[in-house]
Amino acid sequence: MNNPARAAILTARLPRVTGGPSERIRAAQPTPDQVGSSSGPSGELLQSGEGPIVDVEHVNLSFRREKGEMQVLVDVSLSAYKNEYVALTGPSGCGKSTLLRIIAGLTMASTGMVKFRGQEIREPRAELAMIFQNFVLLPWKTSLDNVVFGLSSRNDLADLEKKKIATEALEDAGLGGFENVYPGELSGGMKQRVGIARALALGPQVLLMDEPFSALDNLTADRLRREIYSLLMNPTSSIQTVIMVSHNVEEIVELADRVVVLSPRPGHVIVDLKIDLPRPRNKKSDEFMLWVDKLYSYLA
Amino acid sequence: MILALIFSIIFSLAVGIIAARNHRAETVIIPLLDVLQSIPILGFFPFVIFAISGLIPGQAGYSLAVVFLIFTSMSWNIAFGVYEAVKSIPQDYIDLSFMSKSTSLQRITSLYIPASLSRIAYNTQTSWAVGLFYLVSSEIITEGATRIPVRGIGVDIITYGLAKDYTAYFYSILLLVIAVIIWQFVFLREFSLWAERYKFVEEPRAVSRDPLMKFYHWVNQKSVSKLFLLRPARGATSLTASVARYRRGLKYAILILLAVFLVFEVAATLNSARAGLAGFNLSALPSDESRVLVALATSFVRIWYVYFIVIAVAVPLGIVIALNERLYNSMVPVIEVIASVPAPILLPALVPATMIAGAYAGELTAAIVIFTGMIWYVLFNVMAGIRTLPAELFELRASLRVSTLQAWRNIYLPAIATAFVTGSITAVGAAWNTLIVAEYFVGNGTVPITQVGSGIGKVIVIATTQNDLSTLALAVLSMTALVVAFNLTVWRRVYHFVTKRYAYNR
Repeated sequence: MNNPARAAILTARLPRVTGGPSERIRAAQPTPDQVGSSSGPSGELLQSGEGPIVDVEHVNLSFRREKGEMQVLVDVSLSAYKNEYVALTGPSGCGKSTLLRIIAGLTMASTGMVKFRGQEIREPRAELAMIFQNFVLLPWKTSLDNVVFGLSSRNDLADLEKKKIATEALEDAGLGGFENVYPGELSGGMKQRVGIARALALGPQVLLMDEPFSALDNLTADRLRREIYSLLMNPTSSIQTVIMVSHNVEEIVELADRVVVLSPRPGHVIVDLKIDLPRPRNKKSDEFMLWVDKLYSYLA
Repeated sequence: MILALIFSIIFSLAVGIIAARNHRAETVIIPLLDVLQSIPILGFFPFVIFAISGLIPGQAGYSLAVVFLIFTSMSWNIAFGVYEAVKSIPQDYIDLSFMSKSTSLQRITSLYIPASLSRIAYNTQTSWAVGLFYLVSSEIITEGATRIPVRGIGVDIITYGLAKDYTAYFYSILLLVIAVIIWQFVFLREFSLWAERYKFVEEPRAVSRDPLMKFYHWVNQKSVSKLFLLRPARGATSLTASVARYRRGLKYAILILLAVFLVFEVAATLNSARAGLAGFNLSALPSDESRVLVALATSFVRIWYVYFIVIAVAVPLGIVIALNERLYNSMVPVIEVIASVPAPILLPALVPATMIAGAYAGELTAAIVIFTGMIWYVLFNVMAGIRTLPAELFELRASLRVSTLQAWRNIYLPAIATAFVTGSITAVGAAWNTLIVAEYFVGNGTVPITQVGSGIGKVIVIATTQNDLSTLALAVLSMTALVVAFNLTVWRRVYHFVTKRYAYNR
């Protein structure tokens, strides 16, 4: 995975935000008329090091029901910076998955907005990729074709190139050799690996994960958790920020740099903590246990 | 109609539950239902008339025959629904009922029946429209065959139409449509909604303030409380290898018999097509029989070319409507009502219209009638296929920013594959039944108002009116043999393949 040649292919293929704006980055971004007028200070993308990658600003969400308005999210704000692994948690029904979908651009907030590098997110973009709790693979396509399907929006790539990228992504996710296997023949853990490969194939900067390990058995989930941090946050990966929804406290303390806790419905931010445990994290250490207890106290 | 429905449901419940819970019964009942469901019903109707009129002559006899026909048309479908529903009750619930030591009757009323209700409701909706078709067709055929005036909407409407009394024709159709609408909204919809609450999947639903719903609620509570009474527990049974072998054996036996018949027919058809209708040479078959087999082959081809037109229309239409929430909600009631209007009623209006096709008018009329008989099955199944897709699949599509064309190719079309096949199987099966009306129609006169050059439906109708029992027997039996053989060989394989590869289940 850490082959410099392959890293070069991945990074050369997929535009990254580095120093000043480059032409290829421009080409990959939505044109100004697609972006709302109420975006960041200059309407252009903020460059790295200049502020939050993802910014949630005073988001409210409510639905109209027969009995009246149902508030789901109330005045939620948070910022995710470069190299941060953010966990979003709270009791069932608090709206954390909904908030993730607002960040992804799949749902619109009633009031408030979400920004990616200063630009308002109104619809899904290539820079933010999503991994689903139930994998959502297409059962009639092989693993490789599922990852290739993830590259659907890249019309500039030839089929052969897409296959190459997809093959590499599967290898990185630990599924080398399983390209021609159908999802029906894969275990839960392997399906999620395909989901991961599919999400990473586009070289996104932000990874949004909706309870990615909760549909897996404990052993598989453990194995994936151990791999996921290095897979996502290593220097050759395009990922700069991760936002993960989870209700597993141990998982959060093991993986996250920061945790945002939402209250029961209607969800608002109770606390936004920085988990300063050193990596690699030792699940049996006292500090770890203390953090777990602390987090539980906020959730209870 | 209602009588037939009630009998159907009772019969289906009995058969379905027995089949699902008793494995020996299962091995016999299910293949039998399979075959019975495939048999084109109207083909047997002439026999039913002769049989029952022999026993109970006069008006009562014919009414009974009609009820019986409609009963058969609905039962197999509903029985299958019950079977599937009871089979898919999660084992936990069954264990619970045994452990609470409830009696068989309690188990039936509080577990099996509620579990089957949503399937019964759904199948009733589709069976209802089908039943109406048969009702109208059988009224017409009965009249044609026996010259006894039968009272019924179908006959009345056709009579008005043929007499060119267009105002009466129009108004009676309107009346029928209104009756269907009322029936639909008063009964069928309530039935469906009520049955929804018996599903095993937890779905948050708005509770209705409707007094009818409150009554159902009360009934529900009464039966749930009965579940927890005491009785000695029994061990659970499991499907043994020998029972599985019985099933397969039975299937193969039927298959082989019909394959032989089919081969015979194909050979006869090819032979006669080569040698011309007169003077063909297939030993032991007089030329009468060859006419029948040629007619069968012609009808076969006819059904299939109409099928391709049907899918070209129904698949895109179904997907488009089902994807759009507002469109779906507004169109579905309309479609349901249109689908309930039986095709034969339209014939008096259709025939003058297709005159423009000149020599092909009969063929065009037949094609249109068959089309209307098939399209609803495919359309409804495709729409249901889309509606049952989980939201996350659409979220995936949006988050990957997949274009419309790509979405259709990679997501929507594969996703409906199983529903499409199910719909196709039912549609083609229904098509055979429409032939009796589509290919040769006399109405209340003696001269046919529409007919095709050659077709098995035509053969059957003419043979019935001429009391030509031997030809009739050959026609009906060969048609049945072809349909059943085709089901077992082609459809079964296709269905198996499609469910394996294309079914969306996580």
